[in-house]
Amino acid sequence: MTRSAVLAAVGVAVAVVAALTACSTGDRVDLGGDSSGNLVAAIAGEPDQLDPQKTSAYFSFEVLENVFDTLVEPDANLEMRPALAESWTVSPDQLVWTFHLRRSVTFHDGSPFTADDVVYSYRRIIDQELANADKLSAVTGITAADPSTVVITLKQPTPNLLTNLGGFKGLAIVQRRNVESGEIATHPVGTGPFAFQSQKSGDSIILKANPTYWAGAPKVSGVTFRFISEPSTALSALQAGEIDWTDSIPTQRVAQLKDDDSITLATTASNDYWYLALNEARPPWNDLRVRQAIAYAIDRDAIVQATSYGTAVANQLAIPQGNPWYTPYDAYRHDVDKAKSLLADAGAAPKSLDMLVTNEYPETVTAAQIIADNLAPLGITVNIRTVDFATWLDEQNNGHFDMLMMGWLGNIDPDDFYYAQHHTNGSSNAQKFSNPEVDRLLDAGRVEINRNARAGEYAKAATIIADQVSYIYLYNPSVIQAWTTRLSGYEARRDGAIRFRTATLASGGAA
Amino acid sequence: MTIATVETTRVASWRLLLRNPMTVVSAAVLGVVIVVAVAANWIAPFGVNDVDVPNALQPPSGEHWFGTDELGRDVLSRVLVATQASMRVAVVSVAFAVVVGVTVGVIAGYRGGWVDTVFMRVVDVMFAFPVLLLALAVVAILGPGTTTTILAIGIVYTPIFARVARASTLSVRVEPFVQMSRAMGTGNLYILARHIIPNIAGPLIVQTSLSLAFAILSEAALSFLGLGIQPPQPSLGRMIFDSQGFVTMAWWMAVFPGAAIVVIVLAFNLVGDGLRDVLDPKQRTMIEARSKQ
Amino acid sequence: MTAVFTHPITRFIARRLLYSLVVLFGVLVVVFALVHLVPGDPVRIALGTRYTPEAYNALRSASGLDRPLVEQFFGYIGSALTGDLGVSFRNGDPVTVTLLERLPATVSLGLVGILIALLIALPAGIWSALHEGRVSDAIVRITSQFGVSIPDFWLGILLIALFASTLGWLPTSGYRPLLDDPAGWLRHIVLPGLTVGLVAAAIMTRYVRSAVLEVASMGYVRTARSKGLPPQVVTFRHTVRNALVPVLTITGIQLATILGGVIVVEVVFAWPGLGRLVYNAVAARDYPVIQGAVLLIAALFLLINLIVDVLYAVVDPRIRLA
Repeated sequence: MTRSAVLAAVGVAVAVVAALTACSTGDRVDLGGDSSGNLVAAIAGEPDQLDPQKTSAYFSFEVLENVFDTLVEPDANLEMRPALAESWTVSPDQLVWTFHLRRSVTFHDGSPFTADDVVYSYRRIIDQELANADKLSAVTGITAADPSTVVITLKQPTPNLLTNLGGFKGLAIVQRRNVESGEIATHPVGTGPFAFQSQKSGDSIILKANPTYWAGAPKVSGVTFRFISEPSTALSALQAGEIDWTDSIPTQRVAQLKDDDSITLATTASNDYWYLALNEARPPWNDLRVRQAIAYAIDRDAIVQATSYGTAVANQLAIPQGNPWYTPYDAYRHDVDKAKSLLADAGAAPKSLDMLVTNEYPETVTAAQIIADNLAPLGITVNIRTVDFATWLDEQNNGHFDMLMMGWLGNIDPDDFYYAQHHTNGSSNAQKFSNPEVDRLLDAGRVEINRNARAGEYAKAATIIADQVSYIYLYNPSVIQAWTTRLSGYEARRDGAIRFRTATLASGGAA
Repeated sequence: MTIATVETTRVASWRLLLRNPMTVVSAAVLGVVIVVAVAANWIAPFGVNDVDVPNALQPPSGEHWFGTDELGRDVLSRVLVATQASMRVAVVSVAFAVVVGVTVGVIAGYRGGWVDTVFMRVVDVMFAFPVLLLALAVVAILGPGTTTTILAIGIVYTPIFARVARASTLSVRVEPFVQMSRAMGTGNLYILARHIIPNIAGPLIVQTSLSLAFAILSEAALSFLGLGIQPPQPSLGRMIFDSQGFVTMAWWMAVFPGAAIVVIVLAFNLVGDGLRDVLDPKQRTMIEARSKQ
Repeated sequence: MTAVFTHPITRFIARRLLYSLVVLFGVLVVVFALVHLVPGDPVRIALGTRYTPEAYNALRSASGLDRPLVEQFFGYIGSALTGDLGVSFRNGDPVTVTLLERLPATVSLGLVGILIALLIALPAGIWSALHEGRVSDAIVRITSQFGVSIPDFWLGILLIALFASTLGWLPTSGYRPLLDDPAGWLRHIVLPGLTVGLVAAAIMTRYVRSAVLEVASMGYVRTARSKGLPPQVVTFRHTVRNALVPVLTITGIQLATILGGVIVVEVVFAWPGLGRLVYNAVAARDYPVIQGAVLLIAALFLLINLIVDVLYAVVDPRIRLA
């Protein structure tokens, strides 16, 4: 009796548990198994939030590029083209810009897009001093002349206004109701080719095609962004046909991937750059000679090789070769003796250096280990502090670091490359660099209409920035993306913006 | 009378231990591991952080017996120093667990009564948490790092020592010589030191060896997850984690650190098993009976 | 009717249940303490760059952290009993919903792992016991010792490297729900299941072996043999069937252990289960999720151990009276 009771009990338990296993609870993520034409894209991390005007994370913008629009946007050559604004005129004194908006555009919830939305969006950024407020720093007034016309008045000529307004989705046009209800951070409503449907934290975000998109309905039924933090995993998934697109590609595999016929690999020169920054608010890094010592001590070539396996180009300034605004500069080289003598000159003998890196960007962890080895002969012990990205941002903003490594992505205009990071009042000047000459040059560059003069100003500013070691620039990485051969109508862009609006997926769908 | 019995038993123990070839071999291996761990910094051919990017991802060769990793560092040197780090963490954390656990267990077993009940309930609560989960929780509170790892593993392995110590104490407590000492009014501390502890040493030694084995595995798991020993300090778990992106083109980065873990843990396990056969009274009789055949 | 209530088994179950509840209470205390032992302000840390005074205050009161400690504790227990485990610091999702979403993946991994472990451990353990002292026994024992000494994440990585990356037979990671895509579910669960199962098999083989050995030395088996029954009959009918129940209880214990150790395997295979959830939550300092997951896993652990103890008592009368 007892034995059968035991077996019966076990049988019941097994049945219950099997039922538990078999069911998928709630809104199971649609991994693209059924709907043909759903695009599955794998990105390397999860957006910290979905409010385009507040987030600064590239992962967020990868998604939001498809959900929101700006007044103008860059084309494949990074020239600004009409988007929500069909055309515009500038007053002779360069101080009044009038934008004529596209008509019959609606937000994803059906409500119409009007000039009021533009005014609201920009005012929100300015009044609340949000992340990209200094892109609108020259703006004195924004008004809706009529439902399809927006007038922006400036206090000084701003040659790069268009890049400021549309270089990336940080100045996206948002909907008042979506913002005021607080939903925008988790359920954004925009005018873009895809509408946000749902997010499964730690797993994916699902977007559905917007059939009334002003540039034409997308050809794929939707996009699912999956977060795969392990690069090899994303690549294997692509090769196995489980996902359709990824940019999470370990650089050491690029060489062998070029020969792989089952996927399309694209490496494009980009405007991105990676850098080191020393915290000038903390001694001894406030001494120029000490910073220069570090700049001479590091082995830039080794760092470039180990992080990019030949896909990146070493650069001692931010703007890459091939870019019209490029300035050659190569004052630094790997020279430990020079570093030692600089330290001796400064009378400084730092024993330790707190280096802030994050697992979200493994290149920073790799580089940190090389730098630890580079600085050892100087008697400096590098303490590598690896944190998650949210904490990294926090620590950066609070100045809790000696050195950090990070990258800036998606820059277009030289002002994008230098202002926020190196101007004394720059919103991204975490290293607390301050140089009056650089300030003057950067401010001048913002209003200089003459292109050559402008180029000259930025070239000078960049040179001083490097001489004064505000950043130690490392390299310009390539944009490396791979997708299934069934995907067409998509190309890798120099600014790293991920646009699926014209993508088509040949029959099959991700498994 | 009592002491003589214990000593005779111990002398015979070594002899019995030596009869088992597995135990002898593993003890020898363990000896080598310990020597390596202690002398790691001297015998390592290269520095653990000597970056040499042009020579990255080289297969094992005469110069680099275990090959090089993605930054050109010598894998052999890193494995040696990482072994030292793992052993250090394991030994310190198990030492912590032994001291705290045995104290709690012996007191609970000796005193009995409500002291016993309370202590053992607390131990039971700790047993309700799977090992790695509890360690993760400790790390979540205190932040990652070597010290936290030692503390986490120490806390997690305390309950097992408490239980073993208590069980042994309970069985020794009822022995006639202990009863007599108590009846004579001997101080409790004296009894504990002279009679109890030496007689519970057997199972505790066995458990120590086994816990050391699992402590190495736990430390490796925590380092793998990035919550243990932090880079640039090498750790076996972290080396395996780093090898993931390169495993198809540089198998040596994954194989050697993992093999090191297996060798160390296996040695501790086999030695522990051999010790158990000898030091655990129940098993003893069977072996003695067999060896007399 | 009264016979049921005074039946020794019922009394045993009741005692055992009470004991489990006491331990569960202790677990709740520990879990509750997690958030409060953190040096620094957990809400502030969790919000990071999304910090605004409004968000901070909102999250703080939603988590009940602005009330006195004792009130918080009983509030936590009360809510937990009704299934409310708070909201994630990361994204505001209710913790309970998140846990339930991730549970099936972990449970299926645990079950497949245990199944594979049994498929290996039962035959191996029995065979080894029946050939006790001989070379085949030694081989099984050494192999299982080896298996116990392998780090599971290393095994997982090697399996992926061989079967997924090099041979391409199986996917490297990911999960498919059973009902949505049975073939995909199977393909995706093979490698992680093997990783969990092989290590568990190593542990269980030893238990099976000693369980069979113990039963084989018992009186009635010797009697059956001396009766002249053919050895195979003796083996199956008496030895194995009697060893089955202790093996079942060991399976239960092992399942509980797997649930706790599945964290690392889930990370290696990007498996969307409870283990990976805890790992991500620890990295993001999402304390309510950590608390909820730890509580759930510990409670499951306790439940399985309770069931195992009860089964054991049902079979072995000596235990009931203890």
